Amino acid sequence: MTSKRFWDWFIFPGGVWIALLFAVPLCLVLALSFGHVDDFGRGVYGFTLDNYKDVFDPTYVPVLLRSVGYALATVILCLLVGYPVAYFIARHGGRYRYALLAALVIPFFVNYLVRTYAWVALLSDQGLVNNLLVDLGLSQQPIQFINTPFAVIGGLVYGYIIFMILPLYGSIERMDPSVIEAGKDLYGSPFRTFLHVTLPATQAGILAGCVLVFLPAVGDFVSAQLLGGPDTYMVGNLIQDQFFAASNWPFGSALTVIMMLFLAVWMVFYLRRASRGEAEVL
Amino acid sequence: MSEPFYKPRFLRVFTGLVYLYLFIPIVIVIVFSFNSEKSLQVMQGFSFRWYSDFFNDPTLMDSLLTSVQIAVLTMVISTIVGTALAIGLVRAHSGTAKGFNILMLVPLITPEIVAGISALLIFSQLGITLSIWTIVLAHITFSISYVTIVVRGRLATIGTEVEDAAQDLGASKWESVRLVLVPSLWPAIVAAGLLVFALSFDDFVLSFFTTGEDAQPLPVRIWSMIRFGVSPTINAVGTLMMVVSISAVALAVLVPRLFGRRESGVKVLTGAEE
Amino acid sequence: MGDIGLNRRQLLLAGAGLLATAYGLSGCTVERPIDKSAAGDVVEPKIDGDLMIFNWAQYMDPSIKKSFADKYGVAVNEVNFDNLEAMMTKLRAGGSYDLIFPSTEYVLRLRNEQLIRPFNRSRLKNADTLSKFYDDPWYDPNSEFSVPYAYYTTGIAWNTNEVDTLTGSWNDLSNEQAWGRIFMLDDFQEGIGQANLLNGFYLNTDKSDQLQTSKDTLLDQKKGLRGFSTNSVQNLVSGAAALTQAWNGDVVNARNQVDDPSIFAYETCKEGVPVGSDLMCIPITSKSPGTAMMFMDWVLKPENAYKNVMWNGYPMPVAGGREAFAKLVKDDPSIDVNLDQLADSAMEYRLDSPEARQEWTRIWTEVKA
Repeated sequence: MTSKRFWDWFIFPGGVWIALLFAVPLCLVLALSFGHVDDFGRGVYGFTLDNYKDVFDPTYVPVLLRSVGYALATVILCLLVGYPVAYFIARHGGRYRYALLAALVIPFFVNYLVRTYAWVALLSDQGLVNNLLVDLGLSQQPIQFINTPFAVIGGLVYGYIIFMILPLYGSIERMDPSVIEAGKDLYGSPFRTFLHVTLPATQAGILAGCVLVFLPAVGDFVSAQLLGGPDTYMVGNLIQDQFFAASNWPFGSALTVIMMLFLAVWMVFYLRRASRGEAEVL
Repeated sequence: MSEPFYKPRFLRVFTGLVYLYLFIPIVIVIVFSFNSEKSLQVMQGFSFRWYSDFFNDPTLMDSLLTSVQIAVLTMVISTIVGTALAIGLVRAHSGTAKGFNILMLVPLITPEIVAGISALLIFSQLGITLSIWTIVLAHITFSISYVTIVVRGRLATIGTEVEDAAQDLGASKWESVRLVLVPSLWPAIVAAGLLVFALSFDDFVLSFFTTGEDAQPLPVRIWSMIRFGVSPTINAVGTLMMVVSISAVALAVLVPRLFGRRESGVKVLTGAEE
Repeated sequence: MGDIGLNRRQLLLAGAGLLATAYGLSGCTVERPIDKSAAGDVVEPKIDGDLMIFNWAQYMDPSIKKSFADKYGVAVNEVNFDNLEAMMTKLRAGGSYDLIFPSTEYVLRLRNEQLIRPFNRSRLKNADTLSKFYDDPWYDPNSEFSVPYAYYTTGIAWNTNEVDTLTGSWNDLSNEQAWGRIFMLDDFQEGIGQANLLNGFYLNTDKSDQLQTSKDTLLDQKKGLRGFSTNSVQNLVSGAAALTQAWNGDVVNARNQVDDPSIFAYETCKEGVPVGSDLMCIPITSKSPGTAMMFMDWVLKPENAYKNVMWNGYPMPVAGGREAFAKLVKDDPSIDVNLDQLADSAMEYRLDSPEARQEWTRIWTEVKA
C-alpha cells in the first residue's frame, strides 16, 4: 500500500457521504426542474423548459429581486453593526475577549424559531416595545413593526449577524497593531487611517462575512413567514410553498436551481479566496 | 494612540447596545416562560405552569426525546466521518485531497432550504420512508463539514514528527494514527462533536423537509405551534432547548481545558491559528 | 476552476453522467410507488399496536389521547401538518401514519389514489349519533372510508372596539376602518373561494376568465392586508388584526382567551358561506389500523367529543359534541353552524380536475408573490 493511498482512505467515507447525500440529490433537483406534474399532483421527470419560463415570468421576478434586496440590506446592516463590535472585542476586549466572543455566540444557539417568535412578542402592536413607546408618550398609538419588510430584514440580521462578526473578528485580531501606528503617521486623522489602513487590512474578513451572511439570507423563509406582511414573500417562501402547499415540485426545483446558480457565483468567489487563504473559513 | 474608532467609549457603548439587542429576545423568552398567565405581553405572576404543561404533554416529550436522539446520532457519526476526512485532507497530498479541502465547504454555505429539498428528493426517489433516520442522514451531511473544519484547524498545528517516531519504533501506519494522532486531536474532536450536537438539536429547516412518521423534532413542533394558536408553552420549550444547546456549547468551549491544555476552547472551535 | 480541483475532462464526464441520469429518470415520478396491497382489506377494531396520529396542530385535546393510552396500554403519538397538501406529500413519500384528518375533497382524492383503507362503520359503537349528513356522502359513497371529526364555516371575524361598519359581505375584507390591519387566511381555496363568491361565481369555478377576475379581486384586497395567515387566534388576541378572514372555531378560541369575549364578533357572508368538514381516515400505510379504529370510536364517545369541542372550539357532529358547541356559541349564534348548510355541497371546496387544481394553486401563488 503506497503512502498516498493510505491517506486517501480517510477521505473516502466523508467524500462518498457528501457526494451521495449532497451532490447527487442536487443533480436530482436539477433533473426534476425539467419535469412536470401529473394528474395526482406528483412530480414527473422529463425534458421541458416550462418551469424555467415560469421562473422568469413577470409575476415571479419581483420575488427574486425582493429576496436579493432583503439579503443585501441584511448584509449591509450586519456589516455596519458587526464591524464596530468585532473591532471592539479584538482590540479592546483584553482578557475578556474570549468571554465576549462566547457571549456573542450564545444567542446563536437559541433556536432560530424561538428567537424570531420572541421578536413577534416584543414588537407586536400590544407588545412591550409599543407599550413602552405609548407610555412614554413617544407615540400616540402603537407602531406597526411586524408584518413589514423592516421586520423581515431585522429578523434576518438577528439570525445571521454572527456569520459576519466571527470572520471580522478573526481578520481584525490578526492585524498587526504597528500597521495602524504607521498609518497614523502617514494619514493623520483616525478616520483616514481607518479608511486607508484598517479597512483594507481586514478585507478578507469583510468579504467572507458578507458572503456568509448573504447566502443563507437569500434562501431564508422563516423570517418572512413569521415577521412578514402581504408583500414580503421571498424566494424561500415561494419554494417552500411549491413543495408543501401547491404541490408543484418541478417548479420548486427550477426556482431552486436558478437561486443556486445565482448564489454559485458568490460561492465560487468565496471558495477561491478561501482556498488561497484570503478569506476566513468560519 | 490613533486608533481608528478613537474613543473606545463610543465603541464600548455601541457594543453594549448590540449585546442588548442580541439578548433582549432571549431574556423575554425566559421571563415569559415563567408567566402565570397566557399573555405574551404582560408578565402577571410567577409559575411553572408552562413547564408542567410541557412535561405532561406526551407528544412534546416524544419530540424532545426525538430531538436528543437525532442530535446524539448525528454527533457520533459525523464526528467519526468528519475526523477521518480531516486527517485524510491534511495528510494526503493528492489532487483529490486538494479539491476536497474546498469542496467540503459547499454544504456549509448552501442555503438550508436547498439541502432540505435535495434530501427530500433523494429519499423519495430511493423509496426511503421519511423518519427519524432521514433527519439524521440529512443532519450528518452538513455536520461532517463542521467537524472537518474544526479538526483540520487543530491538525494543522500538529507536525508529523511524533507519528514518524512511532513508526520508526515499529508501529504500523494505522497504529500511529490510532495511538498517536487521534489522542492528540481529542480536544478538537470532542469540541466539534458538541458543537454539532447543538446545531443538530436546534435545526429546523432540514428537519422540516425530512421529518416523517416518527415523532417530530422540537423545532418542527414549534413551527406548527407558532402557526396555529397562541401557546406560551413555546417559551418554556425554547428555554429548555436553550439550556440543552448552550450546555453543549459551553462544554465544547471548556473541553480543551479539561484536557489540560492552556489554549482556549473558543480558539479550537473557530479554528483560529496559534 | 483549477483551484477547486475540477478539470475540463471531469466536468464533461459529470455533464454526460447527468444527462444519462436525466434520460433514465424521464417519465418516472419522484415518489416510489407505495405498497397498496392492503387497499381492499376492511379494518376491524382491535388493539394491534401503538398509534401515530397525523393532524392539524392544536386540533385535538391531548387529554383524549392520554386517556386512550392509559386505558388500552398503547402509546398515542401525534405529528402535525401545516396544510392538506403537505399531508399528501408526506403520505405519498410512504410515511406510515395510523389516523389522518383530511377534508371531504381530500377523502375523495385519497380514495381515488387508494391511499386509505375501508372500515366497517357499524363496528363503531359511538357512530349511531352521527349526523345523517355523513351517511353516504358525495365524497365517500356508503361511508366506507371516513367518519366525521369536526365541521366549520368560513367567515369574517373582527374586533368590535375598532370596527363597526360591517356589511355582511365578503367585501368587508376591504373594510376601510380596518384597512392595513386585515388578514386573509393563508389557504389557496379560502382565498380564491371568497373572491369567487364576491364576484357571484360558483365557489369552485374552473373557468379561466372567472378565475382571472377573482385574481384581480384578490390583488385589490391584498392592498389593505397586513398579511396572509392561518393564525387568526393569535392575530386577533395580540391586536395585530382589526379584522380577519377566519374559521368559526378559531373565533371561539380567540373569545376564550380574552377577559371580554364580546370584543370579537363573527359574521358569515351573504354571497355564500363556505362550509367544510374534517374527517378521520386510516391510511393504507397504517401499521396499527385496528387501534386507529378503536381510537376513532374513542374520539366519538359523547364525553370525549364534549371535552374536545370545549378544547378546540370546533363543533363535532356527534352526541356530546353538539351540546358542547351549543354551549360555546350561545352568546353569538353567528358562530354556530346550521347542519342544513353542510348539506349544500355547492358551498364545499372541491376541485375535481387536476387542471383546475393546478390553475387555482398557480393563481394563489401569483397573488402572494
